This record gives sequence, C-alpha cells and structure tokens, in this order.
Amino acid sequence: MKKRGIGYAATFYGTGYGNGFPDESRATVEINANGEIILSVEVSDVGSGGISVMWQIASETLNIDRNLIKLQYDNTSKMLDSGTAAASRQTYNTGNAVLDACKKIKINIDKYYNKVEIIKNKKVLTELYQKFISDNQELKYEGYFKATTSQVDLETGIGEPYWPYTFGINRAIVEVDCETGKVDVIDVVAVYDAGKIVNPVLAEGQIIGGVSMGMGYAIMEEVNVLKGSIKNCNYSDYIIPTSKDMPKVTTYFVEANEASGPYGAKGLGEPAMLPTAPAILNAIYDAIGVRLTEFPATCDRILLELKNKGV
Amino acid sequence: MKTVGKDIIRPDAYDKIIGKAIYPDDIEIEGMLYAGVKRTTIPYGRVLSINSEEIKKVPGVVAVIDYKMIPGAISHGVIFKDIPTLVKDVFKRVGDCLLLVVAKDKASLKIALDNVKVEYEEYKGVFTVEDALKEDAPILGDGSNILYDIKVKKGDIEKGFEEAAFIAENFYHTQMTEHVFLQPECAVSTIDDDGKINVYVATQYPHYDREEVAKCLDMNEEDIRIINTTIGGAFGGREDINPQCHAALATYITKRPVKVLYSREESVISHSKRHPMKLYYKTGVKDDGKLCALKVRIYGDTGAYASWGMNVLRKSAVHATGPYEIPNVDVRAQAIYTNNPYSGAMRGFGAAQVPLAHEAQMDILAEKLAMHPLQFRYLNAFKVGSVTATLQELKSSVGIKECMEKLAQIDNIQLDKDVRE
Repeated sequence: MKKRGIGYAATFYGTGYGNGFPDESRATVEINANGEIILSVEVSDVGSGGISVMWQIASETLNIDRNLIKLQYDNTSKMLDSGTAAASRQTYNTGNAVLDACKKIKINIDKYYNKVEIIKNKKVLTELYQKFISDNQELKYEGYFKATTSQVDLETGIGEPYWPYTFGINRAIVEVDCETGKVDVIDVVAVYDAGKIVNPVLAEGQIIGGVSMGMGYAIMEEVNVLKGSIKNCNYSDYIIPTSKDMPKVTTYFVEANEASGPYGAKGLGEPAMLPTAPAILNAIYDAIGVRLTEFPATCDRILLELKNKGV
Repeated sequence: MKTVGKDIIRPDAYDKIIGKAIYPDDIEIEGMLYAGVKRTTIPYGRVLSINSEEIKKVPGVVAVIDYKMIPGAISHGVIFKDIPTLVKDVFKRVGDCLLLVVAKDKASLKIALDNVKVEYEEYKGVFTVEDALKEDAPILGDGSNILYDIKVKKGDIEKGFEEAAFIAENFYHTQMTEHVFLQPECAVSTIDDDGKINVYVATQYPHYDREEVAKCLDMNEEDIRIINTTIGGAFGGREDINPQCHAALATYITKRPVKVLYSREESVISHSKRHPMKLYYKTGVKDDGKLCALKVRIYGDTGAYASWGMNVLRKSAVHATGPYEIPNVDVRAQAIYTNNPYSGAMRGFGAAQVPLAHEAQMDILAEKLAMHPLQFRYLNAFKVGSVTATLQELKSSVGIKECMEKLAQIDNIQLDKDVRE
C-alpha cells in the first residue's frame, strides 16, 4: 500500500567565510581604445552563474550595455585575488567589489556622459576613452570589499560569526510504498529569501539543483566506508536522483533587501540545498508514522522501522 | 533596473550548450606527457619500501618522482598543511599519494602504476568518533584526536528546561556523502621558456592553487600561472588541492607539458567528503508554543586530515538552533580525527547536517502541542531584531517569516489567527 505525507522544514545560512577571517574580494574595471569595458574579477563559475551575476552588476552600475563589457575571470596573472567560489559568497562579496570598481569609473564617465539612456554604442565608449586620455583620467579602477564578521568565543560562542543570513522553507509531498519501502517525492514548494535576486531564471535553476541534492541526501546517497576504504566509488553504486526521480518543483523568492549587498542581494548557492532533505524526512513520518533518525531513509531502513514498530 | 533582476542568458551558456567550452581534459599539446599517482590502499601506516627503481625501467616511463624530489613543501592544506603531496613515511588514510609516475602515454602510465609495489608497516586505525575519543586511541592530530571544540551558550539552560511543557530528546546520525560533480579532476601544466609554470585546472580558487603550487616548487607566486578552465561542477570538492601540484611538479622535473587525469574511482577516493555527524538534540517548548531551551552535542567525523573541519563544525554549532529564536541554548560541537576519508567542504558546510535534527525536533514538538508544523515554526521564527544563539542581533533582511507566509498562502494555512488547532 502506498501512503502519502506532507512535511515542512525551514533553515537559515550565514554566508561568507565568517568568524573574522579576512573575507576579501577585488575587481578591476578598465576602459580601452576599442570602446570596451574590461572587467577583471576572480569569479570561478562552478555552474552557479557567478559570471553572469558580475556581468549584470557591472552593466547596471555603469549604465552600459552588457555586450560592451568583456569579462576576464580565468587567469591569475590577469586578475586580483577574490577568494573562493564557496561559502555562497560570490554574489554578495565579489559582487560588492565589482560594484565598488564600477562606481569609481562611473564618477568619471558621468563627467562626459550623464544621460539616462544606456550606452549601447561602441563609438560612445571610444569617444569616452579619448576624453579620458585627453583629460588625463585614470583608465583602470580597482574595487574592493571585505565582509564584516567577528570571531566567536570558543567557550561561549559569543560573536557575530556570519553576515548576511539567507533563509528558506520547503514543503514536500511524498508517497511511501509500505511493501517495498520506496519513497517517491511528488511535489516540492521552495520559498527563499536571498535578498534581491540578480538573475531569477538562474536562481530558480540553483533551487532545482538544490532540491535534487537535498533529495539525494534524504533518501539515496551514502558513501559506504569499511575500515577507511570507500566501497561505492562509482555512480553505478553511489545513487543520486535522476531526472525521472525529480518531483515537480515550484520556486518563490521573497526579496528581503539587504542594504549591504549589491543591489540588495545575498548568497543562494548553499542555502538552496538545505531545507529539502528535512522536509522529505518529515513528510515520510507524516505518511507512515515512523521517524528515522539514521539517514538516508533508504528502502531497507524504512522497512526495518516499519517492522520494528509493528506497522 | 535595466539588467539586475532580469532573466539574462548567461555569457557562458552558448559554449557549454554547443560543446565548445574547454575543460582541462580537452587540452592536448604536442609532446605532452601523462602523469598519475600510486595511492595508499590501507588506512594507517608507514611506508617501508617502494619498487621505484623497477618502475623507472617500465617502457614509456619518463620519470618516477617521490617526496625527496619535491623542491619545496611536501604537504598542503587549506588551513593546516597536513595533507601529503607525496607521502614521506607515515600516512593516515586510504588514497594518500605515494609515488608520482610520468610516462609518454596513458597505456604506459597504467602499466607502470599497476606494477608499483609498496611494503607497509600497518598501524591500528580508528574508524568511529567513539573509538577516536577513547583513552587508548592512537593520536592522529596534534596531540589529540579533537581537531576543534566549540561551545555556544545563551541564557540559563537548566532554567530553560524547567519552563518546558514538552521536551523532545533524540539522537540523529547523518551519513557521509559525495559531491558527485560530473567532471573528474584533471590538470594540464606547461613550462614557458623563462621557466614559468602554467597550470590549467578547473578549480574553485585559482589564487589558492597558485600559492600551493609555488610552495611545492619553491618558486615565486608571480612565476606560477593558474588558468581556470570551464568547471564541471564542484560543490566544495575542488577546494583542496588534488592534481594541481602533481601536474606542476611533473612539468618542473621533465620540462615538458604534462596531463593528470583522474578516473571516476580515483576522483571519489581523492577529494573530501561531507562530514558524517552524530547529533544529540534535546529541545524544550513552553505550553504557549514558544521554544524555551535547546541542548545539542555534535560529533563530526573529520577523517584523516583537517581541511575545513574547524569551519564546518563551527557552522554546525552556529546553525544548530535552526532559524528560530531560543532564549536558552547550550551547544557543543567537535571535529574529530579518524582514519576515514577526510571530510571538508561540501555545499551546506555543516549547516546541512543540523536541519535533519532540528527540523525533526520541531515536528515532534508541534505534534505534542497539537499545532500545525508551519504555525509552530512561524511562531518561533527569526525576525528583524532577533538575537541568535551567539548573541548576534539580526539587524536587517530577515525574510524567513515572509517565506512562511508565502507558503501558508499556497497551502491555505492560517498562520497567526489562533495558533492552536
């Protein structure tokens, strides 16, 4: 017999290295003779869309069409240190460094071009470059940002370990087969506050990926280690969700503006995978009345719990 | 706004879709050599001998490199430099790198690596946090098996539980997981005429890789160039050094371009994992549905090397309450060394494990209170001005209640009228 259940779970996530660790990002922006803006920034795009985020922040700040902005993000001899693509810190931290660099050059651009219309023409930028040269203006500007956190006391925990925080809640509907122990995740509604969303379709992609990873964490994935040796080293025996396992995912963002973030943005990469697994586990309890405390909730564990409870 | 907040097609999309994006293994250079490492197959011990001289004679082998041939640092690590680039004598896990072999083609490299014979003196290892904390346990860390120990205390925990109408007390055990990024590790290194080294790799932090490669080769950072290729996923698994130093070292010694490419199995064995955790949770709630006390103990299996173990367990401790205001909190979290694969960064980073416990506790208490689980969460959720367990005031951008309101609207649940059913 198959039983349906519904589960909720909420989480929060402090972004950045935290704990007073120097969490610094840098970016440079330069105008050149070809009528281009060169944005150099260490943004390692692990699939998250970080490159697009930096590009969009630069375009918005400079009021210059993004096609005139060229990005350099792949070579240590051509970009400054902006830290790791980790800790959900790129949009907030490195985005702020891009914002800072762009604001600096914008002050000088405004001296020659202060129209509301976005600059779309290469010729306008070439003329701007000529004016920068003739008036002896700097061509290259460096932006910097450092996140504000403080070290926690190891005995009391007192401190301001992270900033800012991203929030999320998931509601999952599951169907549990009481004869086989198999869990099907039917539907997930995912609602997040990651501040202003820079690129909604990319953010939704992050959430769908996060739901998939959370689902694997809840009911499928486990590295089996025997005497220090991993026994399932390949994807034939380390099982993750496939597209056929995926539930319908509906995503919403409530955008609680964070004043210290670029255009009010916070981080999203990691928070995207947090609430799904506990929501699924709570839905399993709601469906069959047994609560697992060892994870993942695989078929054999569910059958064992059902048997132990005499269900 | 004209660009921010818009569904713009990412600039890297086209190249990825049409297959033009360059990953490290796409790079082929004339005269390129192939390198790989022989890894330990037992979890804890000391190397007595390796048949390096025999391997040098395998047809196609160009160089056989051991730790003595490394010009600079023989170990690396994101905070503590404890992971051997090539093992000197003692090693602590299955998968540590023993010998770097460079060959003219992949087939010769495989034959050479298959023929490496290692004599070990095996030590008794520890594989659970319980065993690692025993008095007679072998010491894997710096004088102790406890890498990190943090306490978070707020209010008066005893008084908090006295006020509780209901208490939930449980143990939870989260599992080790793998990142499952699609592109296995690969690095290609080249050398310029002036001796500068270039390493093409898919990495989460090029400047960190540059620092480690420079230390390994005892060169200036300015003479090392890391070129970040397209990255086939990472999820935290590309934060520690893996093929970078080996490729650079092989090029440094042979003066030739070198590629290091992992199989899926080697990839899974080599990089960090998500910390398995044992969690004790005792949560108290008052009759009116307000959380009043939380006691938590977290034991994280950090494996053989430190990696980000401190930071991960700190994140667990800080996030142990969930997004709820609790006046009395007593948390202790420890990162504990074992001879298991080392744990480190993985998406969620310590804040992924604790929700499996705190959100189960929330549902158990909601049931005892006969409240809807969403209403119960809403009643206790952070808002602007809330103070966390570390006494941090949340001064702005606290949207969790708005998230719950949105979900309540979708699921047609009354949140704040009469919280009792």
